[in-house]
Amino acid sequence: MLQETPILTKNIRSPGYDGSLEAYQKAGGHKALEKALKSMTPETVIEAVKESGLRGRGGAGFPTGMKWGFMPKNTGRPSYLVCNADEAEPGTFKDHFLINRDPHLFLEGLIIGSYAIGCHHAYVYIRGRSQAPAARLQTAIDNLYKAKLLGKAILGTGFDLDITIHRGAGAYICGEETALLESLEGKRGQPRVKPPFPATHGFNACPTSVNNVESLANVPIILNMGPDAFKKLGSTNNSGTRLVGISGHIKNPGIYEVEMGANLKSIIYDLGGGMRDGKQIKVVIPGGTSSNPLKPEEIDIAYDFDAVAKAGSMLGTCSLIVLDEDTDIVDLAYRTIVFFNHESCGQCTPCREGTFWLKNLVRDFHDNLGDQGKIDRIRRVAATMFGTSLCALGDAAAGPMKAFVEKYPEEFRKHFI
Amino acid sequence: MPTFYLDDEPIEFEEGETIIKAALRHGKDVPRYCYHPALTVVAQCRMCLVDVTDMGNGRPAPKLFTSCSTPAMPGMKVSLQTDKVKEGQNIISELTLVNHPLDCPICDQSGECDLQDYAFQYGTGHSEMTHEKRTYGWRDVGTYIMLERNRCIHCSRCERYSKEVEGAHDFGVFLRSHETTFDTFEDHRITHKFQGNLVDLCPVGAITEREFRFKKRAWKLTRTPSVCASCATGCNITVDHESNRVERLKPRENQAVNRWWMCDDGRIGYRQLNDREHRALEPQARVKGELIPANWETIQLAVITRLEEISARGDQVVGLADTTATNEELFLFKKMLVDCFGAKTYSPAHPQQAAPTGHFLNDLISPDKTPNSAGAKALGLGMDLKNDGVRKALEKSPKVVFVLGNPWSENSQLLALAAKADFVCHIATFSSPWVQITDVVLPGATFAEKAGTYTNKHGRVQRIFPAVNPPEDCRDQTRILLDLMRGLGISTEFNTPVQVLNGLGSQEAAFKGLTWDTVGTSGQPLAGIKA
Ligand SMILES: Cc1cc2nc3c(=O)[nH]c(=O)nc-3n(C[C@H](O)[C@H](O)[C@H](O)COP(=O)(O)O)c2cc1C
Ligand code: SF4
Ligand code: SF4
Ligand code: SF4
Ligand code: FES
Repeated sequence: MLQETPILTKNIRSPGYDGSLEAYQKAGGHKALEKALKSMTPETVIEAVKESGLRGRGGAGFPTGMKWGFMPKNTGRPSYLVCNADEAEPGTFKDHFLINRDPHLFLEGLIIGSYAIGCHHAYVYIRGRSQAPAARLQTAIDNLYKAKLLGKAILGTGFDLDITIHRGAGAYICGEETALLESLEGKRGQPRVKPPFPATHGFNACPTSVNNVESLANVPIILNMGPDAFKKLGSTNNSGTRLVGISGHIKNPGIYEVEMGANLKSIIYDLGGGMRDGKQIKVVIPGGTSSNPLKPEEIDIAYDFDAVAKAGSMLGTCSLIVLDEDTDIVDLAYRTIVFFNHESCGQCTPCREGTFWLKNLVRDFHDNLGDQGKIDRIRRVAATMFGTSLCALGDAAAGPMKAFVEKYPEEFRKHFI
Repeated sequence: MPTFYLDDEPIEFEEGETIIKAALRHGKDVPRYCYHPALTVVAQCRMCLVDVTDMGNGRPAPKLFTSCSTPAMPGMKVSLQTDKVKEGQNIISELTLVNHPLDCPICDQSGECDLQDYAFQYGTGHSEMTHEKRTYGWRDVGTYIMLERNRCIHCSRCERYSKEVEGAHDFGVFLRSHETTFDTFEDHRITHKFQGNLVDLCPVGAITEREFRFKKRAWKLTRTPSVCASCATGCNITVDHESNRVERLKPRENQAVNRWWMCDDGRIGYRQLNDREHRALEPQARVKGELIPANWETIQLAVITRLEEISARGDQVVGLADTTATNEELFLFKKMLVDCFGAKTYSPAHPQQAAPTGHFLNDLISPDKTPNSAGAKALGLGMDLKNDGVRKALEKSPKVVFVLGNPWSENSQLLALAAKADFVCHIATFSSPWVQITDVVLPGATFAEKAGTYTNKHGRVQRIFPAVNPPEDCRDQTRILLDLMRGLGISTEFNTPVQVLNGLGSQEAAFKGLTWDTVGTSGQPLAGIKA
């Protein structure tokens, strides 16, 4: 029987914990911050994070320590740390969970990260619609200022830091780091051409690191337990735990913290409690709508970056959407492509035109106007969009459509004219 | 210089240069919509895909790269020929057409449309898109341009031009996804003088020129290289014409003068080239106070006879030339007056630009609306802004006044002085108040009807070519002047403007070292002027 491993959620899971500054400190908070600022250099902090093997929790799984290590030093320009709290991937609700329940954990990570990369003004970019978490976060930040844990000379050291919350205007694409930076600069939120990368030309063309909320929340934990102990959590190359958000036709939907590499099927059955009304699983979307669907026979795998990739999907944001036998795959595909089409920023041809075309094709099945030619066309259009678009949204829209028609052709055939 | 390989051909590049830039410089064609050397790189259209089989480190690229945004690396191996890249081009062509109306039969761009060309060259030739396309309507967005958003392929050149080159920010991006549209802002109509450049930049028929709308099929036009004669800047252009009518003027790239641009006033200059109403269309002589048509032989003979009768010399003869005349014409005109009469020639001086403002486009527009003031100055014609020289010359009551073009035609005082002469001989292209006082009219040719050179405000000599024929009875001014000179007994080795320019170098210090060939397609500065 798989059990949770509450590391990030240790405080949250303790009875009566309210996420306030007092509660956080009473539970041992800010020890890592003190350690970093008083007994470590920025380089040794980065080294520890590298050593821990922490990979980004925003979706791509890029090693956080390496990202910080790429930032050029002494450029004469300010460096920025931007926390990505946009969390707009359908099915994903872990970052806002952390912000609501234990905001000081990731804020501590944000302060330590800022110290590590020499940032004196950090930003938290949060989705516009998330009013409550934004308010909650603002209170937490205000309290940190009052406690002199933000502002000038933090903890009596020479380190200064301000944090500003920036509320987006509600576009999924603004979660993509370069679109986020454009939006933060007050421009139309659309991804930038890379190179140059944010590490050298990010916010206001200054060296910038964009990090996910959960990635930052792991930083104090790494410093507290030590990189070696952290590395022991999880599987090879996939250290630490993940907050898994389970939703769908599941008995006990919610956030569960497990070590990386836990068995996917066990997560669904042991933690999620299996399907409602004893139904069978029809499809599992393992990492948010951007990830390819897995069939029930494909889910007996380790739930980590590499194993899920090997199964032809993506760990992404660890958002498990589990749907039962009554699900109409065409409905699901249609809903998914409507989302991506709506959220395409529209600047590059494959995504702008491809999501529109795919949406129309899938809608034909939805309207019982499908035929074999259209199945082939969906597969071809999706395949062709893949890898030619400017940012990963194009791929994210195309991949699942191709997978749906390839894995569930009979579901599409049911909607032939 | 470091080298990369495009389909096995070595391409040298400068450090940091993108693949497309180096490839284009080496004369390679890479399909592209959003890339333009004048604008920032956005890599949005995805048409310029290349297959990087070796990134310079022995490893192939994980996917197709856009050559406009990928810096070249030493030893990199790039292909535009592999199946993978052909498939990519195929796909992008097909996707670009998903929401495109394909109304080529009524589209002004047809025949010079990048989308048409690339769809033909790189597309599959058929489409499986059977759904309804998103549509918008025509928009009247500017005094010079119209916008058909259905045809837009979202290359964002218009937006970047208005932000980065013109600076007026009049184009924006609206909505998102397939509804994304490039448009002007509500209640904002573009009024600046550089709208035509948007038409040229737009790779498709989304932005069109009011002047040219629905008038001609682009592929029927012949493009003759030339120089804009609407001001002293001398933007390089092509004169686009069909059936002896000029249909439009388009900029021709010259990095030393106008880069890729020209102003809308210059474009509108095509109208005058077709104007017959205000044109001097036939040789005329004044008989009993009335100008009446005559044929060339009769009138030339009459002019020579009359001049011999008067037999005026020195101050009794004055030459007045305007600065729409070419270097060659001004030179011959001056030579005729000196050699035949020992007389002087004057040209109106025009106010020249103050210090450059730093706005490249605004600095193109010169307050001097004639193309060759600098040429007249270099040839030593008497010029001063206050017209003192010419007034004094005319106050001496000359017996003969030669007029080339329409100099000082708005200056009634000078015209009144000239009218007192016994004989006024006018070589005219367009009619002006001079017609009221002249004794003969010899009809000339516009800059689109003859060869020659102009010297722009920076002292750069640039060539013009005959694009259309002059009206039946009009003649190239060079020929008119050479005939007159021969009639007056001067032998000259010249027969054509080209020969005149080639000869100019030995007779005029400023033109030393210049020949028709060295001036070439992009011009040559006068002797002693830095490029
Ligand atoms: C379309 C799109 C949407 C994204 N949305 C988010 C998001 O909401 N939150 C997030 O942390 N990362 C998001 N990402 C990933 C970011 O681009 C970036 O990789 C991440 O914030 C880096 O943080 P990490 O290294 O800590 O994972 C998105 C990426 C794409 C392509
Ligand atoms: S892939 Fe989609 S979201 Fe990304 S840049 Fe292109 S149009 Fe925008
Ligand atoms: S823009 Fe090009 S492809 Fe489109 S209608 Fe005009 S000519 Fe045809
Ligand atoms: S209107 Fe023309 S220039 Fe502007 S984005 Fe569309 S295609 Fe490009
Ligand atoms: S020319 Fe490179 S993407 Fe448009």
